[in-house]
Amino acid sequence: MEMIGHGGKPLVEQVITDKDEARKMIKDLKTMPVSRQMATEAIGIAYGFFSPIEGFMKKADVEATCKKMELADGTVWSIPIVYDISDQEIADYKIQQGDKVLLTYDGNPLAIFDIEEIYTYDKESIAQDVYGTKEDKHPGVKRTYAYKDKFLGGKITLVNEPKIREPYTSYFLTPRQHRELFGKKGWQRIVAHQTRNVPHSGHEWLMKHAYIAAHGDLPVEQQETLEGRAISGVLVNCIVGEKRTGDYIDEAIVLCQDELRKSGYFRNDIHMVTMTFWDMRYAGPREAVHHAIIRTNLGLTHHMFGRDHAGVGTYYHSYQAHHLLMSIPKEKLNITPIYVLEWAYCPHCGEVTCVGLCGHHKELQKFSGTKIRSIIMDEVKPTRLIFRPEVFDVVMECSKKYGYGSPFVTTQYLEQAKPAFSIEPL
Amino acid sequence: MAETFPINIWINEERFNALKNAGLAELLKEELAGMKVLIVPCTASQRDKVLELYPMAKFDAATTKSIELLPKAVKDKIYDMVVAKKSLEVMDDFIKSV
Ligand SMILES: [Zn+2]
Repeated sequence: MEMIGHGGKPLVEQVITDKDEARKMIKDLKTMPVSRQMATEAIGIAYGFFSPIEGFMKKADVEATCKKMELADGTVWSIPIVYDISDQEIADYKIQQGDKVLLTYDGNPLAIFDIEEIYTYDKESIAQDVYGTKEDKHPGVKRTYAYKDKFLGGKITLVNEPKIREPYTSYFLTPRQHRELFGKKGWQRIVAHQTRNVPHSGHEWLMKHAYIAAHGDLPVEQQETLEGRAISGVLVNCIVGEKRTGDYIDEAIVLCQDELRKSGYFRNDIHMVTMTFWDMRYAGPREAVHHAIIRTNLGLTHHMFGRDHAGVGTYYHSYQAHHLLMSIPKEKLNITPIYVLEWAYCPHCGEVTCVGLCGHHKELQKFSGTKIRSIIMDEVKPTRLIFRPEVFDVVMECSKKYGYGSPFVTTQYLEQAKPAFSIEPL
Repeated sequence: MAETFPINIWINEERFNALKNAGLAELLKEELAGMKVLIVPCTASQRDKVLELYPMAKFDAATTKSIELLPKAVKDKIYDMVVAKKSLEVMDDFIKSV
């Protein structure tokens, strides 16, 4: 059955799974090595995470993305997916428009790149249009300014599928695999929780809030007993990619999110954790739209958006992402946003509650990410209302096993941790 | 009262009992559903000195208004000084001792 992705277009799948055929296709192609960053995006394109784009974007698409938040054909699109290259590299690899080039990663074949266009684009205008600022303090702007002289646009075909390392192996699913699994589970509605966090109970409640909202008018009685079967679910889709010091390490994010299900805070048939390779751009509202697009391609029906979605510093208002999403005509985005307010601990209520429900505002104790991190760094087990003890144990385990003694990204982690995927010889 | 730039030291049960037995439990504040925290005040110049000594630490001006991300060993040392001195006014001694 044909799968439909973002923009109502067929889900992009440009992956050669037959190794003999792949070897034949790449014979005699000139090769060009790519960074982890570019490899990640080539993989994302080929599996259809970024449907309907079929390759690195050409100038007309970049222009439309920046100026109108659309692709050249009018499909909603918020973040340029570009391949940058220096003039020196173009000369060294003798790259010309019309070339077919084999991209390699770690010395092994990764993907065929049909170079349809070589172009330049003003980086400052990308910064202003996408991030709303030209300040290079903004990490997305900094990344934009680091782009090399030119851009290459054209179709990507994956010829060698990535090998996902432990502990991520079972958490990486392609858009097709996501949809097949949802079908098996019988989930009619699925709400995305976008995360790059280890969950405290504030996050847990956001998920519950979004789940209940998404489930809405569907029947509930199937779920009355554990023997029943849920017809809707929460997909925690962790963003795995470029890290900054002080972030939680990806291993801890994925395993701790899953621990909520393993320890029964969510039922097995309701909750699932997967990951998407994506380097955060911190583009706030525009990044929220991009996340909605990715999750549409994964086959989700709903997407939770909280305050400060994908923002950084003080560049965006807390609910600016909500406003941008609300401005997009419903028929242009095939996923329903669920807007949620913060949840906090209220000593008066004696529970974690939604700040939009509880009337004891002066008493509320908000979950601050910094505060929770400080507690974890002090290795003090938080109260279970705030942070689940099983999750705490997993954080501590991950710290030892993957984080060189810290659950947060350190310089050592940046230098020594292996990427989540590798490309093996074909 | 002059503005302070505190260091939050979170207290586990074992330390809580030790502080109680030493008659120091009143130094603690309760946060987040009953978690105990020892809030050690710093002046602006002590804060700057701490951040200089431990570049991985940050002053979180946005949310907690405290010095965060200090390594556990550093906080352990400050904690020990608070217990020994039976007072929160330990930062000068601490900085001198580094
Ligand atoms: Zn209340």
